[in-house]
Amino acid sequence: MASSAPPPALTLPPSQFARLQPHAYLLAHLSPPASSNQPSLRANGRQPAQFRPTSANTGSLTHTNGSAVVRVGDTTAVCGVRAELLPTSDIASWSVSHASSGAHKRATTTKNDADADADESHIQDLNLLVPNLSLSTGCAPGFVPGAPPSALAQSLSHQILGLLHSTRLVRAEDLRVWYQVPSFGGDGDMDVDAEEDEGRKKKNDGKEIKAFWVLYIDIMIISLAGNAFDAAWAAVLAALRDTRLPRAWWDADNEMVVCSEAVAEATRLSLRGLPIASSFCVFEADAAAGWRAVIVPDAEEEKKIEEDQRRGMQRRWILADPDGYEEGLSQERVCLVVDREMGKTVIVKMEKNGGWAVDGRELKQLVDTAAERWESLKLILEQC
Amino acid sequence: MASTLPTLAIPGQRLAPVSSYAAGPGTHVQNANIYASIAGPVLVNPASSKTAKSTLSVSRSPLRKAAPAASPSAPKSTAPGPSKPRYNTLPAVDSIVLARVTRVQKRQATVSILVVLDESASNNKSGPQPTTTTTTPTGGSSDNDNIEAILSSAANPENHSNSDELRFQALIRKEDVRAVEKDRVVMDEMFRVGDIVRGTVISLGDQSFYYLTTARNDLGVVMARSEAGNMMFPVSWKEMRDPVTGAAELRKVARPF
Amino acid sequence: MTDRRRINGPPSGTRPAVFASSLKSASGDATERPRRHRQPNELRKIFLKTGLIPSASGSAYLEYEPSASLAAARSSPQSLIPPSSALKLACTVHGPKPLPRSATFSPNLVLTTHVKYAPFAARQRKGHIRDASERDLGVHLETALRGVIVAERWPKSGLEITITILEAEDDRWWGDAPDSHDAPWGMMNVLAGCITAASAAIADARIDCLDLVAGGVAAIVSDDAVAEEGSSSTPKLMLDTDPAEHKSILSACVVAYMPARDEITEIWLKGDHSKASLGVDDSSLGHEALIDGAINAARGAHTVLVEAVLESAERYAGLSSSDS
Repeated sequence: MASSAPPPALTLPPSQFARLQPHAYLLAHLSPPASSNQPSLRANGRQPAQFRPTSANTGSLTHTNGSAVVRVGDTTAVCGVRAELLPTSDIASWSVSHASSGAHKRATTTKNDADADADESHIQDLNLLVPNLSLSTGCAPGFVPGAPPSALAQSLSHQILGLLHSTRLVRAEDLRVWYQVPSFGGDGDMDVDAEEDEGRKKKNDGKEIKAFWVLYIDIMIISLAGNAFDAAWAAVLAALRDTRLPRAWWDADNEMVVCSEAVAEATRLSLRGLPIASSFCVFEADAAAGWRAVIVPDAEEEKKIEEDQRRGMQRRWILADPDGYEEGLSQERVCLVVDREMGKTVIVKMEKNGGWAVDGRELKQLVDTAAERWESLKLILEQC
Repeated sequence: MASTLPTLAIPGQRLAPVSSYAAGPGTHVQNANIYASIAGPVLVNPASSKTAKSTLSVSRSPLRKAAPAASPSAPKSTAPGPSKPRYNTLPAVDSIVLARVTRVQKRQATVSILVVLDESASNNKSGPQPTTTTTTPTGGSSDNDNIEAILSSAANPENHSNSDELRFQALIRKEDVRAVEKDRVVMDEMFRVGDIVRGTVISLGDQSFYYLTTARNDLGVVMARSEAGNMMFPVSWKEMRDPVTGAAELRKVARPF
Repeated sequence: MTDRRRINGPPSGTRPAVFASSLKSASGDATERPRRHRQPNELRKIFLKTGLIPSASGSAYLEYEPSASLAAARSSPQSLIPPSSALKLACTVHGPKPLPRSATFSPNLVLTTHVKYAPFAARQRKGHIRDASERDLGVHLETALRGVIVAERWPKSGLEITITILEAEDDRWWGDAPDSHDAPWGMMNVLAGCITAASAAIADARIDCLDLVAGGVAAIVSDDAVAEEGSSSTPKLMLDTDPAEHKSILSACVVAYMPARDEITEIWLKGDHSKASLGVDDSSLGHEALIDGAINAARGAHTVLVEAVLESAERYAGLSSSDS
């Protein structure tokens, strides 16, 4: 028997092939024999840069201030935003920090638009945004319901929190409940020194913050078929766009914040921009699911891969919006969050880990792909 | 008989009295009537002899004949004639399974069952195995053979240590590896971690393991990678070779053809 | 104790919004209790679909049609306080799969059930950790299903049923004082929904069952509205009650019922039904009427269940077209 003979093919139905030889199965789809004249497609039938069909629906959950259901292929995320009040009297450090730093910060917020709002730190310092993602919903086998959040769930929650903070999506001003202190004496003759001496929680213009809205952003992944982050983030975004906060004021008689139930008086959040996440993974023909002995290819190997590429023999594929199967077969991940302003793409977050295949050139292409995705998802979010 | 059989049944649906049919898989008997216990196509297996009754069952497998024109792209999965319906999707005694080796010890190898093939494959145990078992088990796909479902979940067991907890575990004991020279079996020369093995279930075993045997010519390692990481091909009943390096490695090889 | 594995809000905690209208004396001039527009034996429509979660062996999504008041509030929103709510839940079935290593040998299928509310599912924010009522629901659901599954066909394996409730039913009208209804009536509606959805998901997973078990709720209510119309405030039997629509629910009953066998696998009856002699000509005891009512409600749910499971069977039978 010649040693160059190909291994006898074990004929398996596709479902068993997919299960036994996942790497070879995906590779066979991506690089079909030239004779077959078939296009290079992923096992799920998508082009490498193709995202799954996405749909969004908002406002269907009764007990939320805002809610959304986003389906990206077979991954479904449900997000509910619930607003509760945090009276400043409950904040232990409030009177101290407020008295020392409040005065001049107020001046900037009223003058400039909220974009230059120096008080954004309130959101982070006071934990006004509380996102939590749950995978313990039976969304996929392997996540035990009732168990504490898995590492993946914790990591996703923190990624969402980080993104909420870094994009400054929610304006702190939207979350404040102000109170105009009735002036007792003459107007404006109370200077700053006097106020600080008294140590009272009163401002030079007689306005003070009585409470903050805290937004509990809970994401339930109902069905998980890969790329939970994109779906979860889209759901958060859609739910926040749907969120309405009731008009709230300080009721001096009852000494509490009360709200109006009138829908007409409620206000929507004015979000900053529309950051949209796109995730990718890298599938390699050679990596053979971790069997590679050498972790980093040397220069020659790399050259060979590039040469092959030029000759039309693709050795690695960057797959957009990977499904669960593809995620399991790739080590390298890229996550881009982009926004577009006046035709220009702004990179809000770029994260890449687990490999060496994606370099500057590929990243540029991915940013373009993410920008296209931004356009299509924007339409979907605006229509829901 | 008053009622005709429905094409599709749902659990709790009365199908026929026991006087006219025998109850097969996917059904149960209550008050001398056969009821469906799963949702699916109703099948009638004609009796093997004149005296016996035909067997009524509800199929767990997709009904191939139901969609004659619908599968132009999948000619090879079209089984000739009605398939033998699967009783359920669990490994049972005599089922042929494909499993991945997860641990090799001195006296036994631990494997994780990936696919349960149709037990009908074991019917011709006595005779010589014709082209065989590598083939589609007569459309006998279980629920989890749905491609859509497979693609939605993580594929690669090497990356996910916990996925083995979701698969049924089995042991191949040293004495069950091959039929001859049982006392000279060295487990390391039979299986390596990561190999795909075809075996048949000999017992349901204890609470955590099934017991498999590979003591037949058609059973043993069907897929293996060499130490260099290349897929090997079989060269004899106890040796496989790496096509790149040419190195040979010892295995209990399943006869490929 | 803070939960280190989750993102916690402000350490001092937060308070739900208090609406000005609820501070005023409870004259009820501004808002009125939602009225039941359905006939006493008319059920809300149930939306039930199987197979939406492909990574599970079986799945079902269930939604109740919003009550008239909620539907009206949805179409032309006036108040931020929802008058009522409508059940929405997702159910998945995973398995049969190996039992955990610590488990002892079982010749049968071992069923585990798990019911969890999403934090935003109810009027009061729910915690992330299961509370007693959620555990209670899980136990009730398990007993309801255990009698249906043919467990001996699946030796030494486990079946895991997980239900996530996205929107629960109200326990009472929000305008009522918290103690006006003593029991959490909404839970019973939730249980009925869980049973029906789990039944569909199990059938979708093709686990052998004796029948499609369905859940149904009936309650004996006494309403002011009835009294005003002159006919003295006799308690009435209603099917599929929305607790927000009734001033006082005297007792309620939920059953898990198998129509083909006329058997009940789970029954949960709460409240005082001794007073409820339903009309002069009705000599039947309160609880019998109540159980019969719940069975009728379950029969109604069963018709929806049949359609959903047939659809699952058709989808499955036609699978060969996509299987390549």
